[in-house]
Amino acid sequence: MNHLKRKELAFFGKITAGITHEIKNVLAIIQESSGLMEDILDITENGTFPHKDKFIKSLNRIHGQIQRGIDISSRLNRFAHSPDHSPASLDLNEITEQMILLASRFTRLKNVVLESSPSDPPLIIKSDPVSLEMALFESIEILLSVIGSGGRITLSPRKIQDKFVLGIGYENTVLLEEDFLSKISSTEHWASLQEIMASLGGTVKVFGLAPEILLYLPESINV
Amino acid sequence: MDRMKILLVDDEHEFVTTLAERLELRNMNVSIATDGEAALGVVENDPPQVVVLDVMMPGLSGLEVLEKIKGMDSKIQVILLTGHGATKDGIRGMQLGAFDYLIKPIDIDELIEKLNEAVKNMG
Repeated sequence: MNHLKRKELAFFGKITAGITHEIKNVLAIIQESSGLMEDILDITENGTFPHKDKFIKSLNRIHGQIQRGIDISSRLNRFAHSPDHSPASLDLNEITEQMILLASRFTRLKNVVLESSPSDPPLIIKSDPVSLEMALFESIEILLSVIGSGGRITLSPRKIQDKFVLGIGYENTVLLEEDFLSKISSTEHWASLQEIMASLGGTVKVFGLAPEILLYLPESINV
Repeated sequence: MDRMKILLVDDEHEFVTTLAERLELRNMNVSIATDGEAALGVVENDPPQVVVLDVMMPGLSGLEVLEKIKGMDSKIQVILLTGHGATKDGIRGMQLGAFDYLIKPIDIDELIEKLNEAVKNMG
């Protein structure tokens, strides 16, 4: 990646990270305000506050959504910091967990569940975080562009014969069309994925039966 | 038993005023400041036992305020508030004498636990 592109990414990252802090401040105020309402309800004598149960239920819903907002903005913050260091030590479990939170909206639009199957022990590689996240996202996009509706996509980091692999697999009770593999290779995302993987010093393969996209990654790259 | 004396410092006015109300409901004596200079003024005129201090503020940063507070009275305990991805600031703060740090948005029960521990730490 050239110097200007790096600077552009750093710029987007910095602005986005700044905004996530602002969002968290908003969430913190909502949290304290709803917490204060709860405190006041707690000290209210029984029977003196009409519909108290409904208020408590509603406050619990607000708390749940605040937590959701915190999780999303934390992930977004971490994502925005991706361009800060390259190459960086990356835990493939963490990268997949992060991608699940960031890409779930895209899979949900096709009623597809996005989940992970973490590696135990965790797999750590030295790579470029932005390119690796792009490779994962492109793989998800490829699957979404060739499947129908429903099913699940599982991201599974693992080692295959001493090689570091990120698997992006699709499962559905409905069988896929036979020309699934040729459909994949004809997508615009496929060419892009191959380019990204080459820049990471890795390769990409597709196994048709599962079906699963496998990203083979070197343990360490020099960017 | 004396009420715990706390100073909350954060540039988000709505945040500090609401948090102050919640702590007052728990029988604490709470002052607020929305910038570092104002916080140092409170510390000088009416020293609290514990300062809950946001790291990221315009003007004097939380870490700068922390250093000044410790210079004024090393017994005052400081709990820092940091954002996600800013734990380095929390660790740096502890090296500068902060009692501990919490990540915003905070959990009120966790804050109260830390406040109690901080007061015990005063000796």
